Amino acid sequence: MSENREVAVVGGGLTKFGVRPVTWAELAQEAGEVLFRSVPGLEASSVDSLFVGAAEPERFAFQSHVAPLVAEQMGLAPHRIVQRNELACASGQSAIRSAYAAIRAGLSDIAVAVGVEKMNLPSMAEANSAMACVLDRPWDAAHGLTAPPFFAMVAQRHMLEHGTTEEQFAAVSQKNHRFANANPVAQFYDKKFDREKLLRLPLVAPPLRLGDCSAMTDGAGAVVLAAADRVREFTDTPAWIRGTGQYSDFHNLANMESLTDWTGLTRASREAFRSAGIRPTDLDFAELHDCFTISELIEYEAIGLCPKGEGGKFAADGRSDLGGDLVVNPRGGLLGCGHPLGATGIAQAVEVSQQFAHTVDPSRQVPDPEWAMVHNLSGSANVHSVMIYQRGG
Amino acid sequence: MSVLSALAEVKERKAPKSRKRRSGATASPPMAASPVGSGPPERLPYLLDLYPLESAAQTRLSPFFEALHQGRFTTTRCRKDGKLLWPPRVVCPVCHTTELEWVDLPATGRIYAFSALLAGAPIGQEADLPRVVGLVELDGVPLRLFGRLLGVDWQACRIGLRVRLEPLALPDGRAYYAFRVTP
Repeated sequence: MSENREVAVVGGGLTKFGVRPVTWAELAQEAGEVLFRSVPGLEASSVDSLFVGAAEPERFAFQSHVAPLVAEQMGLAPHRIVQRNELACASGQSAIRSAYAAIRAGLSDIAVAVGVEKMNLPSMAEANSAMACVLDRPWDAAHGLTAPPFFAMVAQRHMLEHGTTEEQFAAVSQKNHRFANANPVAQFYDKKFDREKLLRLPLVAPPLRLGDCSAMTDGAGAVVLAAADRVREFTDTPAWIRGTGQYSDFHNLANMESLTDWTGLTRASREAFRSAGIRPTDLDFAELHDCFTISELIEYEAIGLCPKGEGGKFAADGRSDLGGDLVVNPRGGLLGCGHPLGATGIAQAVEVSQQFAHTVDPSRQVPDPEWAMVHNLSGSANVHSVMIYQRGG
Repeated sequence: MSVLSALAEVKERKAPKSRKRRSGATASPPMAASPVGSGPPERLPYLLDLYPLESAAQTRLSPFFEALHQGRFTTTRCRKDGKLLWPPRVVCPVCHTTELEWVDLPATGRIYAFSALLAGAPIGQEADLPRVVGLVELDGVPLRLFGRLLGVDWQACRIGLRVRLEPLALPDGRAYYAFRVTP
């Protein structure tokens, strides 16, 4: 066992995202099917550890202790580490981070990180209750806070402080939906949204409209992480994990210093770039957590892609599109692909892996990408999780 | 639907709930108390606890709820570093002392940000839309609290409007509060 072993994502796959006529456990089985089909060199017996990203199976499926359930559904028998990772909307990335840490520490050689979420239920009010309880339940959620009004207040303040417009929000949604139209697993793969249509969609929480909000989505996915000496068994284009950063600075909304200045993301991304030894300008693409259009705009600013307050203009000018400064969310983002909480971080890692292998639809293929950033926020943007990948080969 | 009539839904579940809690291990399982189709669906009142957790037997923060019943809005302040804490706490997160004191909060403030939920309500709140909510900057203290905004439509709501705390008693005896827009 060598110290500080390098770790790579060596492949993975996703189920179809959307409103799916399947149970939570069936999604886990589908994740197993697509994983073994997508990573031909993988044998179940060589997977020593399993990390399951699942935000709220207790509410969505009335099931806890899901890690052994997922192992059984996928036909795995992990013999070193088996655990669930819960970090709300960032649960998938949390699973990847734990797998990375385990391999890096020498406790695992080949680990699978899975994400599963089944959000569409006969009662969507139940799903909305589950989402509300991500926030401070007795002191915020019980008073009517859910994600849409929270991000709507963020949007309102950004409009007030920086002159950001609804049209700029729509520019983000249009871009990400266009990419999703070239991603067959995306929830909105076959739904077209032009800017005029987006601006006519009903309000969910003013000023945010339906097209500004990511959907309730059923979906699952899995990736394989391997130690450096095992990587070549699986791929010629490993996605090396070169940097990570994470920051958590409040939970109750009263303790959020600024609605529009996400300093936690600035800190998390600085740490990730520092540990990777690169700067934002070195990136070839970024998967940013666009749970709402306003989120992506503020993320540009917090990461340093543009000055504070200019995120709206950055999007509207096409600077986050293919051919711009840095293409953001070529997968289709949460807005276009849907947001099955625990599976979202896995889907972003699969996108990195497929972009590096040049296996995505040519219309959304980033030219010869070497460096990629993945970001998830969770809750009321109170936790930010960042990873930096470099293509090997 | 007004806030208070929405809150009255709490009554629907109170009686069967208390029966369930007394049923004990030898009685019928809870599901048997409300067979399918026998009455209104179970509803969570505003994501509050399914049973009261406000008494001194349940929480060290019971003085908050007792004061709210008396119309006073309070929180804790650290006696050592003077930090005003929200939500109220039993240990200071800065110096980790348990030497906290209860202090009154101002009952007035102004709207810092607001929105309204027009769709996608949690359980028990489906009929309670649109629901105007916001962050309120309390007068004279460094606290910005989230709450429901009463007495204003979302179309007429504006940043900077004055609000006053409105203590509310839920029909099952629990304390609750919202902010009412004042002229």
